[in-house]
Amino acid sequence: MNDKSTWEFGTRQVVYGAIGAALYGVFSWATNIFPLPAAGNVTFRPAVAVLIFFGAAYGPWVGLLAGLIGNTLGDALSGWGFYWNWSLGNGLMGMVAGLAMAAINDFRARGDIVKAVGWGIAGIVVGMLFASLTEMFVGGIDFNTALFGYFTPAFLGNTVVTVILLPILMIAFAAVASRRGR
Amino acid sequence: MLVTWKYRPRNTFIQRLDPRTRLIFLFSVIFALTIPEIWDFRIILPLFAVSLTLYLMARIEWKDVRRAWLFIIVFVVFIVGINGVLSGRGGPSSVTNIESPILFYVPLLRELGWKVPITVSKVWFALNQIVRMLTMAILAIPIPYTMDPNIYGTAFKRMGASDNFSFTMDLAFRFLPTFARDFTITVDAQRARGYEMEALKGGLAERIRRLAPLIIPVVMQSTVTGEEVIDAMDLRAFGTNKRTWIKQLHYAPRDYFILGLGAAIFIACCVLKWGFGIGGFFVPDFFTNWLVG
Repeated sequence: MNDKSTWEFGTRQVVYGAIGAALYGVFSWATNIFPLPAAGNVTFRPAVAVLIFFGAAYGPWVGLLAGLIGNTLGDALSGWGFYWNWSLGNGLMGMVAGLAMAAINDFRARGDIVKAVGWGIAGIVVGMLFASLTEMFVGGIDFNTALFGYFTPAFLGNTVVTVILLPILMIAFAAVASRRGR
Repeated sequence: MLVTWKYRPRNTFIQRLDPRTRLIFLFSVIFALTIPEIWDFRIILPLFAVSLTLYLMARIEWKDVRRAWLFIIVFVVFIVGINGVLSGRGGPSSVTNIESPILFYVPLLRELGWKVPITVSKVWFALNQIVRMLTMAILAIPIPYTMDPNIYGTAFKRMGASDNFSFTMDLAFRFLPTFARDFTITVDAQRARGYEMEALKGGLAERIRRLAPLIIPVVMQSTVTGEEVIDAMDLRAFGTNKRTWIKQLHYAPRDYFILGLGAAIFIACCVLKWGFGIGGFFVPDFFTNWLVG
């Protein structure tokens, strides 16, 4: 399923980084077309679960590339523009989630799923905190706005989506990988 | 439902620029405003005018950018602007430290008698903050509309990124239409089986969980596709040597002009702030007089 060399950056990482990025872009765009109901300025982006899954399945480099490039793609598709700190924050989110790869042996095992979700939530904290706090320098917002206006809604929305969808993705991946034999 | 790039070829000065030039100029303006912490409207307004000029030169139709603008205006004005007026925080400490006439009080917690004073300096700060953010945003908005998606990978490679990173970017742009098509087919197939996308029922968790039939098939198919692509690339010895790129980029005189302008803006902001002490926050007399009378 994966060779556990966490920090290797070869053909496999290039290809799955690109695939993760493209999927993140497509699903981010789709969320704009079919928005999920949310409270306040909390938005739910199912794409985040896909990003964290790619990190957990293929490692931190794939997570970084999928988040960094995927967010750029999603913004490009939706026409929002190019916001480097949010793209980098999304990359960090995937990268930290990718640290789970070394700890996962069986994508169906409850313990490994919990580990992946835990690393995913850690990734969400690191990535969204980075993006929110850099807005203090880029946009000149204050700490409270960064924390409560930017970080908290992003953290809540992304965590809910990850907790629900990541286990489903992992179980489905285990089935596909066992059929494929590698 | 069709995924389409926002990009369309237009015969404009902006689109004739090298993509590297545009990205470097964007970062020059962002760094010029943020590194020396420029809050002086005499510097921010001319930069806003430059950004706005470049934006208008891109000749993007309003119907294309209406949604993006709505999002940015709501965000900048209502979240950032109102917060700036209420708290005055986020920028330099002088916003809340300087003596400034109080215009009125906003009662926040009436029971506790907590009233927030709205001062002239907070209002001026909020206006500066909005214009400062818009200066950066209006340089960022046109990029997806005016930069060829096929050139991103090459542009980043020529800006010094590694082959692996640049190729990932290039590959992602090529994969995107395929996965978008797969997603469309999946949505149609699920609808044919009675899946009601517009009327997802149940609580929040249930609604998110019910998105799985749309997401899982596309993601799993993509992992299978990935193995085939890896095999194809390995057979072509990807990663054994430095790559050559089909698309070539060349700077033209217009690129040197914009790059020079970007460098000049960055250097000027740094010199003004650190060399002459110009660029910090202050409330101009005309604004105070206008508000207070």
